[in-house]
Amino acid sequence: MKKIISLQIAFVALCILGILSCKKDFPVDGDGLLITSRSDCYVSSFELLGADFQTVRSKVATIDTTAQTINVEVWYGTDLKNLYPQFSLVTDAVLDPKIVGKVDFSDLSVPKEWTVVSGNRKVRKTYKVFLTVKQ
Amino acid sequence: MMKKLKKYLLFLVCISLLTACKDEEFQIPTASQDLQNDLIKRSLGPNIVGGTIEFAYASGIIPEKGKLVSMSVEASIAGAAGTYMDNKTYTTNSSGADIGVAIGEPSVTTDKVTEVVFNTDVSATTLRYYYKIPEEARGKTVSFKFSAKASNGESVVYQTDAYEIRKMDMQLDLIAKDAANCFISIADMKTYDAAFAAANPGKIDLIYLYRALTNVTYAHSLVAPAADPMYMPSFTLPAGLTNNSKIVKAFTVRDQQLARLQYGVFVDDADLFAKDYVDAPNFAINMKAEGGIWVQTADGKYSAYIFVNSVNNTTKEMKISIKRLALK
Repeated sequence: MKKIISLQIAFVALCILGILSCKKDFPVDGDGLLITSRSDCYVSSFELLGADFQTVRSKVATIDTTAQTINVEVWYGTDLKNLYPQFSLVTDAVLDPKIVGKVDFSDLSVPKEWTVVSGNRKVRKTYKVFLTVKQ
Repeated sequence: MMKKLKKYLLFLVCISLLTACKDEEFQIPTASQDLQNDLIKRSLGPNIVGGTIEFAYASGIIPEKGKLVSMSVEASIAGAAGTYMDNKTYTTNSSGADIGVAIGEPSVTTDKVTEVVFNTDVSATTLRYYYKIPEEARGKTVSFKFSAKASNGESVVYQTDAYEIRKMDMQLDLIAKDAANCFISIADMKTYDAAFAAANPGKIDLIYLYRALTNVTYAHSLVAPAADPMYMPSFTLPAGLTNNSKIVKAFTVRDQQLARLQYGVFVDDADLFAKDYVDAPNFAINMKAEGGIWVQTADGKYSAYIFVNSVNNTTKEMKISIKRLALK
């Protein structure tokens, strides 16, 4: 009987040890996203949708990763107050502030700004989005 | 001891497996001796005044026991003109088309009751019932009591659920034509010419324009009278038109009742009521077929969805269908 009890205790101890030894430290940010070792920090593509969720771009957006600018031309008659920007970023990077709904681009003299934060969360690059309306 | 127990368990498992695999033989169901009935609702989507609710009502009795004499429907609210029960029973041919054979007298509607009396030997059949939704039913519920009678004196009844009739209105296939009937009234759900627009400026909520401009894409556009003149190129606005309607473009809202296409999308009262028009512009440039716009009239009285059925660059026309809800 004693032998069985001691075996059971040994088994439980082994399990606890196993669980503890498997635990690894994966750092995550405030949104639960994995913080990695990647330091790349850029926008790879940019889309702009109208209220009907169709693109309003008249051509592909020009992204300058050195100057950190995005130039996009939209169709004549685009409703500039109700636009949905979409960024594609390098792996593991995140956007700050997050886009949670429609964005008002109607003041064309003041470009909207978003910051790309690298996977390791140590590099931050602010992009300016310039809109022009096709005339 | 342990060995015996194992053998016994193995034996039990084998027996249970054999029992579980035994198929039950199919037995042809025995038909009920009584007159029976059943019902399906054929029409889908919100029930709108002026529209139709369609049912298929089936009833049958064993031929040895009798024939069907009549089928009738009693609506809780009398249907509008055009309510009827089809006196034909249908089969489908190889092309998928319905082939009807008349098996009774044309239906007679008296107040709330519509009836078909059979004039051929029928023991079992299905008839279609079309209820034209009357103005009186707007915002209320309507239910139906289907019944069938047999020659042996038996009768059977099928009571439906209560169906909600929406508050909205619907208008199909209006033609807006550039430089002609290009003025659209949401209140009237009609298109008008410039003379009417000038005489009734308060009624005009939208203007349809077609322009094939060289540098920009304008094409088929819908703009409010109060829109910036730059969105109404080469157009002279009749005096007095000032309504500043709010417009939100839509593209995937192919309402089945407006479009009559295969998409299972329906714009309902709740959609029109809850539509957010904050910061909405007063123009929709370059509209395409199967697109649409949500519109709130300048006085806030109506919220509407306009579906673009088709556009024609040659005739400079746009065919539109409207669902409209009075908010006030």
